[in-house]
Amino acid sequence: MKKDSMLYVVVFTFIVCAVFVFVLALANQGTKDLVSANKEFATQSAVLGAFGIPFTDKADAAAKYQSMVQKVSTTPPQSWKATIDGQNYIAVEQAGPGLWGTISVILAAQPDGGRIRGIRVVSQNETPGLGGRIEEAWFIGQFDGERTNSGKLVMKSGAEATGGADMDKENGIVDGISGATRTSQSFGIIVNAGLARIMAGGTQ
Amino acid sequence: MSDSKAMTVLRANLWTNNPIFIQILGICSTLAVTNNLRNTLIMTVGVTLATGLSSMTLSALKDLIPRKVRMIIQVVVMSFYVILIDILLRAYMPDVSKQLGPYVGLIITNCILMGRAEAFAQANRPLLSLWDGLTSGLGYMAVLMAIAVVRELLGFGSLFGIQVMPQGFVTWTIMIMAPSAFFLVAMVMWWAKSVQAKNTAGDKPVAKEAGK
Repeated sequence: MKKDSMLYVVVFTFIVCAVFVFVLALANQGTKDLVSANKEFATQSAVLGAFGIPFTDKADAAAKYQSMVQKVSTTPPQSWKATIDGQNYIAVEQAGPGLWGTISVILAAQPDGGRIRGIRVVSQNETPGLGGRIEEAWFIGQFDGERTNSGKLVMKSGAEATGGADMDKENGIVDGISGATRTSQSFGIIVNAGLARIMAGGTQ
Repeated sequence: MSDSKAMTVLRANLWTNNPIFIQILGICSTLAVTNNLRNTLIMTVGVTLATGLSSMTLSALKDLIPRKVRMIIQVVVMSFYVILIDILLRAYMPDVSKQLGPYVGLIITNCILMGRAEAFAQANRPLLSLWDGLTSGLGYMAVLMAIAVVRELLGFGSLFGIQVMPQGFVTWTIMIMAPSAFFLVAMVMWWAKSVQAKNTAGDKPVAKEAGK
């Protein structure tokens, strides 16, 4: 068959595409379980982290998740509940626009929204080194045990931000990241929206 | 593959015909990933493997590929390897995969892959093409890692995430943002070209790649 004939071109292209796509499909199928297990672990560790339940590894996380956490809403956006030291907590998955893309977090708080338990960032595309620092422990840690003003939190951003963490757990104020005003504002909005959902029972 | 030819290719890809400062290819990824050493390393390893393997495959297929669909086949082969890398990262290194986000998929748009397939794999044997792809990736890696060291050190005060600068060090925000990579790439080019201009007498560019 001539290499430049129409038939050869079509058959050759078809065979090449079929072979490569077949191998890719095989690879995808072979790693599917592993990928979904990784995804599950990512969600579980974020939920446990927001509830403040410590875990050591993947198996420990799965076991603690099974025994301590109950799902409230299985349809997205998901929500969970857990009882820790006799106190009930509700956690919700909450997403909202950041500066560059969607910021998705898991937020845990008391059912009346009075005190936040903790928060974990599930995904974000903020500027690395600036807005991307919302994943860092010093920033996330500000929310642990923070009292809210009847279900609302104040995020200090822009010129008001001190550039450090707000360590006062009773004032309902967290400090934004200096140099990432918009990300901080967005994060505050997401947290307050999440609190509203928690106070509504986390079922919507 | 003769030793001398392999050496010539290595020398060309690392220095006299470096993908970044001579061919000016793959600049987008240079701007995007170099503010963090770990991401840079993984990204450049990905590009190195993808370039090497796709060059080898295309070189092996070169006598069978009809001219009309040459580019289509090239893109199919490259995206095959890139998606394979993406799948493996998602399965075995989920943290890294999450950190790199869309960058892995974007390896396919890295001009180095297409550049090597067109300029080298078309006219050379598979093994030498593999070597050419790998060394091109190394040349790319060398420059990007150098830039990433400067950017992470000044932008975050750390190397590979480990704090090395003293506590009171004020980080340079500009180093985290993409524009700083423009300055640094330009400085690397400036340095490399001036050094090369000084000793051109000794170096002969690989004939097949001249003018690329």
